[in-house]
Amino acid sequence: MNDPLILEIRGNSLDDGPGIRSVVFFKGCPLSCVWCHNPESKRAAAELSFDPDQCVACNTCLARCERTALARKRPGFIDRNKCARCFACADACPSGALSRVGRAMRVSEVAEAVLRDLPFFRNSGGGVTLSGGEPTLFMDFSAELLLTVRRQRVHTLLETCGLFDWDEFSRTMLPHLDAVFFDIKLMDTAAHRRQCGVPNELILANFTRLLECGGTPAVLPRTPLVPGITDTDENLSAIADFLLGLGVSRAALLPYNPMWHGKSAKIGSSDPTAKDAALAAWQDTATIERCRAIFTRRGIAV
Amino acid sequence: MLLYTDIQAKSGKSTTGLIMRAFLRFVAANLNRRASLRRYLACADGWLDFSVGMRTESGSVECGIVGRDGVVTASGRVPDDADAVVVFRTDAAARRLLTGTPTDQIYMLLTSEMRVEGSIMYLNLLSFFLSLVFGRMQRSAMERERRTDRKKLLRKSPRARQDLRDGLVVRKAQHLRCAAREPGVRFLADPYLPEYSLDDFPRLRKFLDIHLTEKPEVCPEIPRLLTRWHREHGFEQDASGREWEPVLRKAHAYKYLMENREAIIGEDSLIAGTTTSKRIGCPVYPDGSGGLIWNELLTISHRTHNPFVISDETREFLHNDAFPYWMKRNFREWVRDTYGNPLCQQLDERYAFYFNWKQATISHTIPDFPKMLKIGAGGIIREIRRELGKRCDREKKATLEAMILCLEGLIAYGRNLSKRASQDALREPNPARRDELERLAAICARVPETGARTLDEAVNSLWITWVALHMESMNAGLSLGRLDQWLQPYFAADMKKLKAKEKRAAYVKRAIELIGHLFMRCTDHFPLTPDLANFYFGGSSSDQAITLGGVTPRGGDAVNDMTYVFLKVTEMLSLRDPNVNARYMPGVNSDAYLKRLCEVNLSTAATPSLHNDAAVIASLEKMGYDIRDIRDWSATGCVEPTLSHRHMGHTNMQMMNMVAALEMALNDGRHPLTGLEIGPKTGDPLRGEITSFEEFFSAFTAQLAFLVDSSIEYNHMLAEAHQRIRPTPLLSALIDGCVRKGRDATKGGATYNSSGTALIGLADVTDSLMAVKKLVFEEGVITLPELKRAVDANFKNDPALLALARRKVPLFGSGSDEAVAMANRVAKWAHDHYASLPHYRGGTYTTGFWSMSNHVAFGTLTGALPSGRLAGTPFTPGLTPQPFASKSLLDNIRDVARLDPANLNNNIAFNVKVVPSAGDSREKTVDDMYSYVKTFFELGGMQMQLNVVTSETLRDAMAHPEHYRNLIVRISGYNAYFVTLNRDMQMELIERAEYGI
Repeated sequence: MNDPLILEIRGNSLDDGPGIRSVVFFKGCPLSCVWCHNPESKRAAAELSFDPDQCVACNTCLARCERTALARKRPGFIDRNKCARCFACADACPSGALSRVGRAMRVSEVAEAVLRDLPFFRNSGGGVTLSGGEPTLFMDFSAELLLTVRRQRVHTLLETCGLFDWDEFSRTMLPHLDAVFFDIKLMDTAAHRRQCGVPNELILANFTRLLECGGTPAVLPRTPLVPGITDTDENLSAIADFLLGLGVSRAALLPYNPMWHGKSAKIGSSDPTAKDAALAAWQDTATIERCRAIFTRRGIAV
Repeated sequence: MLLYTDIQAKSGKSTTGLIMRAFLRFVAANLNRRASLRRYLACADGWLDFSVGMRTESGSVECGIVGRDGVVTASGRVPDDADAVVVFRTDAAARRLLTGTPTDQIYMLLTSEMRVEGSIMYLNLLSFFLSLVFGRMQRSAMERERRTDRKKLLRKSPRARQDLRDGLVVRKAQHLRCAAREPGVRFLADPYLPEYSLDDFPRLRKFLDIHLTEKPEVCPEIPRLLTRWHREHGFEQDASGREWEPVLRKAHAYKYLMENREAIIGEDSLIAGTTTSKRIGCPVYPDGSGGLIWNELLTISHRTHNPFVISDETREFLHNDAFPYWMKRNFREWVRDTYGNPLCQQLDERYAFYFNWKQATISHTIPDFPKMLKIGAGGIIREIRRELGKRCDREKKATLEAMILCLEGLIAYGRNLSKRASQDALREPNPARRDELERLAAICARVPETGARTLDEAVNSLWITWVALHMESMNAGLSLGRLDQWLQPYFAADMKKLKAKEKRAAYVKRAIELIGHLFMRCTDHFPLTPDLANFYFGGSSSDQAITLGGVTPRGGDAVNDMTYVFLKVTEMLSLRDPNVNARYMPGVNSDAYLKRLCEVNLSTAATPSLHNDAAVIASLEKMGYDIRDIRDWSATGCVEPTLSHRHMGHTNMQMMNMVAALEMALNDGRHPLTGLEIGPKTGDPLRGEITSFEEFFSAFTAQLAFLVDSSIEYNHMLAEAHQRIRPTPLLSALIDGCVRKGRDATKGGATYNSSGTALIGLADVTDSLMAVKKLVFEEGVITLPELKRAVDANFKNDPALLALARRKVPLFGSGSDEAVAMANRVAKWAHDHYASLPHYRGGTYTTGFWSMSNHVAFGTLTGALPSGRLAGTPFTPGLTPQPFASKSLLDNIRDVARLDPANLNNNIAFNVKVVPSAGDSREKTVDDMYSYVKTFFELGGMQMQLNVVTSETLRDAMAHPEHYRNLIVRISGYNAYFVTLNRDMQMELIERAEYGI
């Protein structure tokens, strides 16, 4: 694929790897997990987002739209069939309620933006994290970006769903990575296909190959705990056994939060899980402890 | 203009006018007829005569009340030559005087609904009379107000959150170990002292409990002794009718005070001497701002914020004896009488422009403790006598003699303490305590007269001197200086005498306890704040800054054993005051030290504040001071640098509201809240008289110049009042240069002289200038008249413009070069203008950008701004960027670090609120904090102060204060207990941007 759209560059992140980090979010993902917390990152193309909470109803946008795709009475405000995604409305919107999701950026621009935080990286042992979306959809771009920041001796980290072509990955990105956070969501491939849209064989194979690199980059498997989908005893035991078989001693479990509901509506997508009560609540500590125990029992630190 | 007859006709017709007259008649009748009230019309000097008028701006109300020879009369006109006239903006405001609570009245004064022409003392006297008549009503109104407020809070959060307060407790219970060797630490095994906690010091815990629960009591000791002495020996002239030399009069009165005040050894204390005669006292300084509580003598123990106990005896004495004597013998009223209530004073008393601290005190400097510890008061007297032996003019001779009298007073007080300790020992049943008292008797038999030999002697000498300075002058920001540097030699000397490991460990524990006692002694008093100050300077103690770490005068690493002892005490006690400031020199001080500073910040939630030595030193280098003296700087009051014990820097001379100037620039010199047409005519934006950004910028600076010049004019008048009313010979003996020059510190005796301002609203001003520049003059999104109308309407009809101003204008803190350049431009203009003004002590005016609590108070008194800040809301604290300037804290940090230190020579306050994630280890949290601070400093940032507490916890504390008495928060510069703050300030802290770490 060609040059990516960048969703966001978030500075001062303390949760996406060691130290203070800048996270580059790519737009576009080969998976389509039903619980996806960043639905705006699924599609690779630019999208128009509308956030009614930010709208001050000044109607500046109405006059800017040449195709009359905006109407106050319409649910969701935007007629997405009419909208040509020219973003004239978003450019004019004073409050940011209408906004463009995804911006074309050159590698140098992204590098410049993240490297502003270089002194913070140095003192904290932090660096740059590529996330998404899925950065491996844009291997050449990502590799060039990694190379550029690495020249400044910046720690690099990839967050990936694991679905990529190994040969291309090992040729382009792999040499420039210090660490990889690798998602392992479901062990059963049929379930994986059902919930994430694709089977998981390639993902698991890539994970194994990555481990075979011998510790460089450092690999941390991560499992999102999605109620009733990934957080079952069966699935987690299977993942833990899989990791144990590969000699993995450390993994991460990501507790579920329901904060993402409502994000889909902003970009006009439907949310198939909107009515699922289990997905509407925060995960309780007892559940999280149960999940952790499955790993710690096997000697895997989480 | 209305003709006199019109006014008469109007007041005759106005219902409010009739009501007010009836009201005053009722008051007069009560005072005349009720014997229990009538006796308050008399004082030690005879009848208390007064005449106070009341009117509205329109003339719809005109009345007055006059007391002559014990008879009070009310009349339907403002008395000629009234001592004070209360002017109401509207009839409604006048009626609210009758129906409102005392809090309402404070807001009426602050918001110019009500103002005073003339003497505040006479107004307060009248208010006292009113409270005699209506006191019970006022007290129940206060009680009602409190109950309603409490109910509202409890409705919102009925259940106290155990988990939140536990979170704070857990933080204190954990301790990191020091991973690295610390080169300056010679004796401590682990400099972090992780083995100690408050549980090891039961006495400190007891002191802390008393401090957090006991109401301070108004202490009449100073005015009682001073008034007695002055009644006998005169004030303007001596008993024989000769004009007093002020410095000698002060010294004689001071010596009398020191010889005759009660020498007290605080219960269980390892340190002798107290600043007041009460367990926790509020000293009254009748020559300064003491009279400001006259109106509250009956209500002060009932008010919501910082209530004080007051005994009947104290109340009677202050009303009958002290306050009448000092009615005109105080700084404010001296200026009013001498200069005819000048405009520069009137502006100060409208609250919205500037506040000059000299109306209360000068203070804000660092005395020469090293010398006192080394040679004692006796040694200093010998030095002064040598100087007296040289040729002296009259002033020099008087000044030096005055210094000796004061030092003799200090020595006499030390001897009295020794005697008292012996007497207490005789009566003491507990043998361990008896030993301590005997030891104190022996210590005080030596110090402060002679030099100290041990840490115990040094700390006692230091504290007794500290008490003595409190007896000379009110403490607002008088600061303790580099105590780790100055006490280390005594700690080391004691240590060297001990060889056994256990003995050394026991000594370290004793040293921690001793410093703990010193901290607790510093809490033995609280400034006598009038209720108005609870809204203007909420929760501020006297801000006795202690400075730790940094570099030595030669530039080496100054961190030592005592640095870490002080940090341990700071961590264990979490006191608002002393205000602990830590210096860090990149490349010289260790990472282990900086991490420890962050850890203590985490444990205490708000202290110490963190300074970058490199930036502070760079800011002072242009002043022409000796570099070794610059490197020896200490924080004063809040954050401001003083060249320790060589420098009279009155670093908190004033609080200046820069935003008022911006509002005046938008209104062609008129100030919107007060309606005063005072500033220069810089062009009316509505009439298209401002046509470029440069014109607008010039309009702003012209208005600011007007306010600054007025404030400095007032500063000089108040300075003259100080020279006449309250010279400071003791302090002068303890500041380098004064003896040599034979000149009092108030007259320029110190080696280095300056006065420092605190400019408030840099971020708000910068952002507003950016909005005008971008939206009006560059992008043409809106015209200046349109913007001005939107601002005047508080953006009510223009939400789009509001959103645009907030989102599309590159703000200070967003990472915009242009905004940083604008902030630097404003700071440079202010710095250059202040620096260009003549200084009464032959020094320089310095500029700082921190705000105490005035960003809230001034914010309340300010309309909407072009930046999109809405009317009445707080400005940002210090020079902290707006929370919505950027999503990333790093942009904030970088922009603040890019300010040119040369313009910040009275320091800054950059407030950052961070909250640790629940799952993170202590080590990770401290590492994250360290990374921010270290990078900020490496980028050149000058000062950072952290609040490590969640808004959720603060909300819980607001509703359930009983669980959070010890929770300190960093306001802007100083610390306060969150639960003592007024609601506006609590909300400002809650609403500050919160960054997860």
